[in-house]
Amino acid sequence: MEFVNFHLIPGLVLGSIYALGAIGVTLTFGILRFANFAHGETMTLGAYLTLTLVLLAGWHPLLFLPVAMALTALFVLGMDRVFFRPLRRAPTIILVISSFGLMLMVRSLVQVVWGVKLQSFSKGIALPWVFFDSLRVFPKHVVIAAAALALMLGVHVLLRHTRTGKAMRAMSDSPELARLTGIDTERVIRATWIVGAGLAAAAGIFLAYDTHVETLMGFKMLLPVFAAALLGGIGRPYGAMAGGLVIGVVEELSTYAWIGSEPLLPPGYKAGVAFAIMVAMLIWRPSGLFRGRVF
Amino acid sequence: MKHIRHLAAAGAAALLAAGGSAAIAADVKVGSAAGITGPIEGLVPPILAGRNLAATHVNEQGGILGGGTYMLVPGDSQCNPKAAVDAGTKLVNVEQVVAVIGPSCSGATNGMAQSVTIPAGVVTLSDSATAPMISFLEDGDLVFRAAPSDGYQSSALARFAWDAGLRKIAVTYANDDYNAGLGEAFVAAFEQIGGTITGKQAHEPDRQSYRSELSTLAGGGADALAVFAYFGGSGITILRNSLENALFDRFLGADGMMDNSVIEQLGADTLRGKITLSQPAPEAEGDSGPGESYTAFAEAFMAAGHEPTAPYVSHGYDVAFLMALAIEKAGAADRGKISAALREVANAPGMVIRPGEWQKAREAIAAGEDINYEGASGAIEFDENGDVSGATYTFNGVGDDGTWTPMK
Repeated sequence: MEFVNFHLIPGLVLGSIYALGAIGVTLTFGILRFANFAHGETMTLGAYLTLTLVLLAGWHPLLFLPVAMALTALFVLGMDRVFFRPLRRAPTIILVISSFGLMLMVRSLVQVVWGVKLQSFSKGIALPWVFFDSLRVFPKHVVIAAAALALMLGVHVLLRHTRTGKAMRAMSDSPELARLTGIDTERVIRATWIVGAGLAAAAGIFLAYDTHVETLMGFKMLLPVFAAALLGGIGRPYGAMAGGLVIGVVEELSTYAWIGSEPLLPPGYKAGVAFAIMVAMLIWRPSGLFRGRVF
Repeated sequence: MKHIRHLAAAGAAALLAAGGSAAIAADVKVGSAAGITGPIEGLVPPILAGRNLAATHVNEQGGILGGGTYMLVPGDSQCNPKAAVDAGTKLVNVEQVVAVIGPSCSGATNGMAQSVTIPAGVVTLSDSATAPMISFLEDGDLVFRAAPSDGYQSSALARFAWDAGLRKIAVTYANDDYNAGLGEAFVAAFEQIGGTITGKQAHEPDRQSYRSELSTLAGGGADALAVFAYFGGSGITILRNSLENALFDRFLGADGMMDNSVIEQLGADTLRGKITLSQPAPEAEGDSGPGESYTAFAEAFMAAGHEPTAPYVSHGYDVAFLMALAIEKAGAADRGKISAALREVANAPGMVIRPGEWQKAREAIAAGEDINYEGASGAIEFDENGDVSGATYTFNGVGDDGTWTPMK
């Protein structure tokens, strides 16, 4: 039961959070064609906006999920208008570096506005449901997994069954052809930012709901999220979902005592797992599990 | 616009006037490094208030070196060796300070001392670096501290645990100089008394969760978990994960955890009776109860609106006051003379000087008398390593008012 309680369930929860973050990364990469380093800070921002709403109104944090997602998307649209749009035709490296600069700016902004102190949505501790005297399931984990699944289904419907979604996929496959067929590229870019930022905010909020809010939380998620996007294949939203789940579960399982009573990997090195997977994928299968783009 | 010009003129005039008087006696700058941001940010403001109170006492009672202003130049060491090196470099090379008090954390003190202050020949006097390893730095007699080495704290905490009936303890410590030093010393001390350590684990601070680490530790069947961590780095998260997953329900810890945000985040009722934190006793002991020195400090500190029992605030006062005494004793803002002077003013014999008695000390030094500072936090006699000797410790739990309260 220790395996399920402390490795499998947290792994699935963490994995679904990574998956949400990775969808945004992979969409931006596929459609705007650069690795957005500011994506981690977008998650942080979503968590802090929710924290503010929770402190102001005192309701359950997940009730504010749509509001925080919308606010974060607005912020990111503003960011795109001011920083990325003037650079639309610039070489990729310039966009990547500007996103890096934005990352630092947004983080500093968050630190100035909200301070660097560790905070949490709710005070006190939350106790789990206990089944059969040993299986411990936290209500918050169920809620997070369910909400993440719902959001992923939403992405699926958007991509498969709406004009915007189809346009996004077309842009991702071939921007030139998409433009020739009369797709409004600026509109698709806006939609990409809205979806990416909304999901990033949700990922940040879920992580904060499970643990706590601090200014580096998004930055620490950046590496596993990039690894998830690569694992799934760049530009492949379904790949990102699968990649996120795999990375989250493998990270948590790597510290289980598979052999003997000692953890297979000392927990301090857990973060290295995502990195190792990322490097291995880049070497042996750069297109990812779902045959994504190779740059 | 006109107003602004008038203001500027008035300001310039004021500056000229101030410059005129300051020209008689030079101001003395001492670096005041502390973990203003980082994992112990909640603990630092009261300590800085302690240091600043000492500077206020010096400046109100005639100033330093014949009327100069004793200035504490802040530097943010972030409780992090790298940041401490940056802060120390700025203080030593840009601000040209005579000496440095602080930094707060052991790792920061170690980093700053080895990379900056020892090579530059500048004295460091920390008020809260407690790792045993600080004693053994190759420092050419340049690193001092008013906080007792954690060799003592770990023994005291181990003894407390044994007396409280705990026989099997699991230990987790953050992987930095302070927490690792304390953790290892605690393991040794507890095993020496006869206790069993069911497992010990170093952890990396700042992770989102420690569930898997803790579930491994809990497998050993311990009565309690000893957590050596900074509250904002991993301390709160470890307590939360342990309690939520019912892995441990009795905790021991040290002064790096003693911030009220621990109680605010987890809830006073959740923690009450489950956690005990050790802390070097803030007061020097008199024959019965707190000594005269501590009382003098505590009254002044409370009058300034602060709480004198907070961790290391009396030590903060003592290092700032001692440094001023050493500079006065050296007779010049000369980096090379501070180390010897520090020993002379702190150690017996000599005329006893207590917190707040700057004028008395200044006159005694002018008359060529030997002085002996008896600090708020203890008698402060530096040994050959620049350490103060054994201290008493208080043990704190969650009180009825939801703050850390000494337990009798």
